[in-house]
Amino acid sequence: MTTVRAEGLSLRFGRTTALEDVSLTLHDGVTGLLGPNGAGKTTLLRILATAIPADAGQLRILGADPGNAAGRLAVRRRLGYLPQNPGFHQHFTAFEFLDYIAILKEIVDGRHDEVRRVLHAVGLDDQRGKKIKALSGGMRQRVGLAAALLDDPALMILDEPTVGLDPEQRLRFRELIAQIGEGRTVLLSTHQTEDVSTVCQRVLVLNQGQIRFEGEPVALAGLARGRVWTGPARAEGALAAWRTGNGDYHNIGDPPTGARLVEPSIEDGYLMLIDAASLAGSAA
Amino acid sequence: MSTDDWHVADEDLRAYADGAARPPWRWSTEAHLGTCPHCRERLAQRVAPAAVRAGWERLDAELDAARPGLVEALLVRLGVAAHTARLLACTPGLRRSWLAAVGFTLAVAMAAAHLAGSMTVPIPLLAIAPLLPLIGVAISFGPRVDPSYELAVVAPLHTFRLLLLRCAAVLSATTALTGVASIAVPEYGPVVLGWLAPSLALTLLSLALMPRFGPVTAPLAVGFGWLALLAATVHPLTGESVLFTAPGQAGLTAAAAVAALALWNVRAAFDTTHHLGRVADPSTRRTI
Repeated sequence: MTTVRAEGLSLRFGRTTALEDVSLTLHDGVTGLLGPNGAGKTTLLRILATAIPADAGQLRILGADPGNAAGRLAVRRRLGYLPQNPGFHQHFTAFEFLDYIAILKEIVDGRHDEVRRVLHAVGLDDQRGKKIKALSGGMRQRVGLAAALLDDPALMILDEPTVGLDPEQRLRFRELIAQIGEGRTVLLSTHQTEDVSTVCQRVLVLNQGQIRFEGEPVALAGLARGRVWTGPARAEGALAAWRTGNGDYHNIGDPPTGARLVEPSIEDGYLMLIDAASLAGSAA
Repeated sequence: MSTDDWHVADEDLRAYADGAARPPWRWSTEAHLGTCPHCRERLAQRVAPAAVRAGWERLDAELDAARPGLVEALLVRLGVAAHTARLLACTPGLRRSWLAAVGFTLAVAMAAAHLAGSMTVPIPLLAIAPLLPLIGVAISFGPRVDPSYELAVVAPLHTFRLLLLRCAAVLSATTALTGVASIAVPEYGPVVLGWLAPSLALTLLSLALMPRFGPVTAPLAVGFGWLALLAATVHPLTGESVLFTAPGQAGLTAAAAVAALALWNVRAAFDTTHHLGRVADPSTRRTI
């Protein structure tokens, strides 16, 4: 089911173009949003979360138009949002904070039951009575995710939830997001291509305020097919090259001497795409 | 009658297990269950384990629920709905530290008014008192002071309603404190209440200007504007000013009404973070 349909979204901050003619559709399941710093990911997510309006373009979210107050309210009633830097009232316990957000979400009946449900969903039952300032970064992220899960939203927008987490926490978070993505739409902004390869059914790549790719992760990897090589030397003029653990060089671009072609990863496809876009940008 | 020779009747125990027992019989049954293992055992046989577990979980949830703090408990006692009191409890302008600062400032203003023997108007109090709710409101709303501001903006509860709730609470608290301070300088007569109209006017004007100038510049401009207006109208020896005469007070009340109308007209701007000005919005400054 199509949950979000955007056509020609644009937004400027003074002289900076944050988004330019962005069109996309989101469906049930987890969609990854990849892009370098400053690509416009957070801006796009904030528009989709109804925090800011776009300057131009058409947007339908869950069948409503967030351009008017009634449509915005309809979207917000079915939205779960985890901002990039979710703020917490530090003196609240995890339970108290979620109770506060539940009130903002206008949950009246069974509010405390709902808070317990989301605490359980993110595995924080044992930490519910702890002050937020005493929780680790990973646990705080889970409190933020629990806040987004309140009232069982149909659309969840998660802005870089895995940033700053250690590998184990990141793994647990991915597990959670995969579970959450069953039966609802999740848009997951991330810098980690592993996040995309492990939990996302679709992926968007945003660069310099424009959508550069929309499709399945395997298709993103496919962009680098026939361009990824491994061998004993760094290729001259490679788009990207680095030395791997076994001493060989991983090259993206033209084949270096003595190298063999390998199957590309999502990271290869992403780097290929971003670099090509940058080259096109600098040429223009 | 001891618990050994009386037990809850089967029919009543069934009603209790089904959640159909009504007070006071439910309370009586609960009191008996607390002391009678035999009836507890009979109850356990009538209730599905899942229902017992759910009951314990609900009890747990209630025990975990936020304990009302001083402000929240006071608001509930004053008749404010529990969920509204919870929303207000995290308003920075209602924190004890802020209220203590307001109290201290008023005490200093009162002392200055007492010391200014030649004045017929307690100008230190009347100049400072209207700034207190203005600052209180400014520190109670916006991304710099509300850590979960962005979550509040995209929540279904209208941000303007949250803003008004917090403003009303801050205004009430500072008005009560300033009212007490005014009573402490009775020698000046009714003119001592001259802070009320400007308090309202300044606060409303600052809120109405927020969508255009942002949450910091608007209150700052209004505050300095007030001080400039005082400097231009106050007599240096007597402290008299047209602002604290009947026509002046009527003018300030009219200004408050106009500001209230202007605020109502721009209320939709508070529905997104747009009212902060894109450049002023820290979340857009951090990253795009």
